[in-house]
Amino acid sequence: MTAPDFSNLPFDPITDRTQQFLRDLNDLFVEAGREGPTGDFLRRLLEAGIHAVGGKRGFFALVQNDTGELHLSAVAGPDWTDQNRGTRLQLAQEENRGISGHVVMMGESYVTGDVSHDQYYVRIFDDVKSEISVPILSNSSQPLGVMTIDSPEADRFDTDDCARLTALSQVAGVALTVQGFRDREKALINIGKTLTGMLDVNNMTDKVVQIASIALRFEDCSLFLLDEQTNMLILRSTSGRLASEVGKPSYKLGEGLTGWVALNGRPIRVEAPQDDVRWLGHMNEFSDDDIGPFLAVPIISRNKTLGVIRVLRRKSHATWYSNRFTDVDERVLSTVASQIGVAMENARNIDRLVTSQRMSAWGELSARSAHMIGNRAFALKGDVNELGYLINELPDGTSKVAFNEISQSLGNGIERLEEILREFRDFVMAAQSQLISEDINRAIHETLKETFPKRTDIELRLLLNEKLPAVKLDNRKFKRALGELIENAISYQPNGGFVGISSDRLNHDIRIGESDALAQTYVVLEVSDAGPGVPYESKDKIFQPFYTSRTKGMGLGLSIVKGVVESHHGLLREIGEPGVGARFQIFLPV
Amino acid sequence: MSKILIVDDEADIRNALKRRLEREGYEVDTAESAKAADLLIQAQHPSYDVVVSDMSMEEQDSGLIVLKDAIAHDIFTEVIVITAYGNVANAVESMRRGAFDYVEKNVPGIDVYELIAFKVSLAMEQRRSAVTTVRRLEEVVAKSDKLPESISE
Repeated sequence: MTAPDFSNLPFDPITDRTQQFLRDLNDLFVEAGREGPTGDFLRRLLEAGIHAVGGKRGFFALVQNDTGELHLSAVAGPDWTDQNRGTRLQLAQEENRGISGHVVMMGESYVTGDVSHDQYYVRIFDDVKSEISVPILSNSSQPLGVMTIDSPEADRFDTDDCARLTALSQVAGVALTVQGFRDREKALINIGKTLTGMLDVNNMTDKVVQIASIALRFEDCSLFLLDEQTNMLILRSTSGRLASEVGKPSYKLGEGLTGWVALNGRPIRVEAPQDDVRWLGHMNEFSDDDIGPFLAVPIISRNKTLGVIRVLRRKSHATWYSNRFTDVDERVLSTVASQIGVAMENARNIDRLVTSQRMSAWGELSARSAHMIGNRAFALKGDVNELGYLINELPDGTSKVAFNEISQSLGNGIERLEEILREFRDFVMAAQSQLISEDINRAIHETLKETFPKRTDIELRLLLNEKLPAVKLDNRKFKRALGELIENAISYQPNGGFVGISSDRLNHDIRIGESDALAQTYVVLEVSDAGPGVPYESKDKIFQPFYTSRTKGMGLGLSIVKGVVESHHGLLREIGEPGVGARFQIFLPV
Repeated sequence: MSKILIVDDEADIRNALKRRLEREGYEVDTAESAKAADLLIQAQHPSYDVVVSDMSMEEQDSGLIVLKDAIAHDIFTEVIVITAYGNVANAVESMRRGAFDYVEKNVPGIDVYELIAFKVSLAMEQRRSAVTTVRRLEEVVAKSDKLPESISE
């Protein structure tokens, strides 16, 4: 930060007014570093200025980054009304710029002793004859605004006045710069606080966008989240103009500047995005022509891009004035993005935790209800058996057919109930495997003995690699899973066919869907048949619970297989060709 | 006559098992909890030949308590544990602690009552042979006990 330069101040003669000015200057400077400019601070600074140069009234006007206008932020002296306080000086248009606008554009002070003949003057008050105006510059010499003071006397101001006002404007520059840093710091802390306390991701992003756009002065701020299934960026939150688009997919991964940021995990900062080859020009806050500086940073957590936060400004129509995003802007936005990343990760973790608690409550509930249902079914079975005995004991000559039918039907119903119960239990228990090193071929033989029919039209084609390493198995559960696949294969070939079972060793990485390979070496087990196979459109659905094309059971069969395989840290897939037959593959890590 | 105790907290199941086993010619008592079972076991002389007990009643593992009480009263009493909803871990534990066998209540397509009746008959057989073996041993020991006495005389 540059300290005000007092060396060229007019010290001689030291009048009361000069002494007063020096006192004011000192007080205000101390305050600028401490407080930052409130409206009151700028007004007092202005009053000190009016007093120092002997003017009548004056105003502070600050540059608005997005619109390129000068807005009056503090006024002093007589005759101010709400209306003239609301004066806006258009920097972009020459005729309406005024002396103040001119000063901001040139970055130099300006003095006139006869406004009626001045080429820049725009009249606000009738009595003005002289006007003096000095620019307020940031520490990086960016124009922040202007301090302008008038007088009804002609030729009221001289170069000494100019020097005094310049000193004050430097104090204002320091104060505004300090304030800018404070605002950002405060906003960042606010964002941090917001994020730590929030679990709802949507709510959280809304709040961040709101704070970022107002407090950080990123006028138009939008936040996109990456949908992993579709690889689309979805607009999640925006500071206003795109509000109706929230929730809609906006860019494919890699598409447009925003998509590029998501794909590459790196920020983009450009002054004229339209000139960029990656520019796509849709889903923007304002029309193509109006878009100026563009800044987008990725939201990253654990090396994974979760989304993009993007800010835009309107194009500056004044060639002298650049409203490009600075290094500081990019740093601030990156900080915000990394905070969001961490917060989203937190929210997801907590979500997972809550879900797993719910799941364990659900497991407990289902275990209890299955236990009770099982007991009832057992008791009913006893009654049905008794019914059978009683029917047998009916006196000779009684027609027993109807009784036997009812008894048979009851028995079937109970058996069906028990099948459902078993399927349900296997589904719930599928995930809880106790793994012991086993010979997988032995488990295959045992399963076949239990499930493969002795007399059948279906041929068994067994192709086992006899030299397989041991794998960790829950024998009972694994046999249940394999048995399910075998029974499935048989049931889909009512007119005969074959069931192929092979085991082999696999020594390279595999990748199925989202799952990463967990081991270098696998034992792969395949169950194939000559049934109708699985249609391509159903391949990702068959392992979901309750998905079935058979009438038997609840439709939990393949989801039980999947649960068992996953609890063995293995992978399961179906790669058969529809019309040729099904091919289920189980990969178990060695 | 062979005596059986059935322990289950469900009256319907107690009755169904009782009816079924009485058809086999056994004398059957029933109890609705591990506590009630213990009272009957303590009061029974000669002791029950076979106890058929549900695993989860007052507690998840009440069956283990019945098992312990029955064996403590008479080491030759055979205990069959029945479980609903495949409480396999407890069933295996009961085998480890000396149960004769365990039977799952719900096995689709299998008449579990028939199965229980069959296992009870096996348990009876085992009990008989164990008792006979021990009696014979006792006789041998009794004879060998007398031998030194006769020498000393």
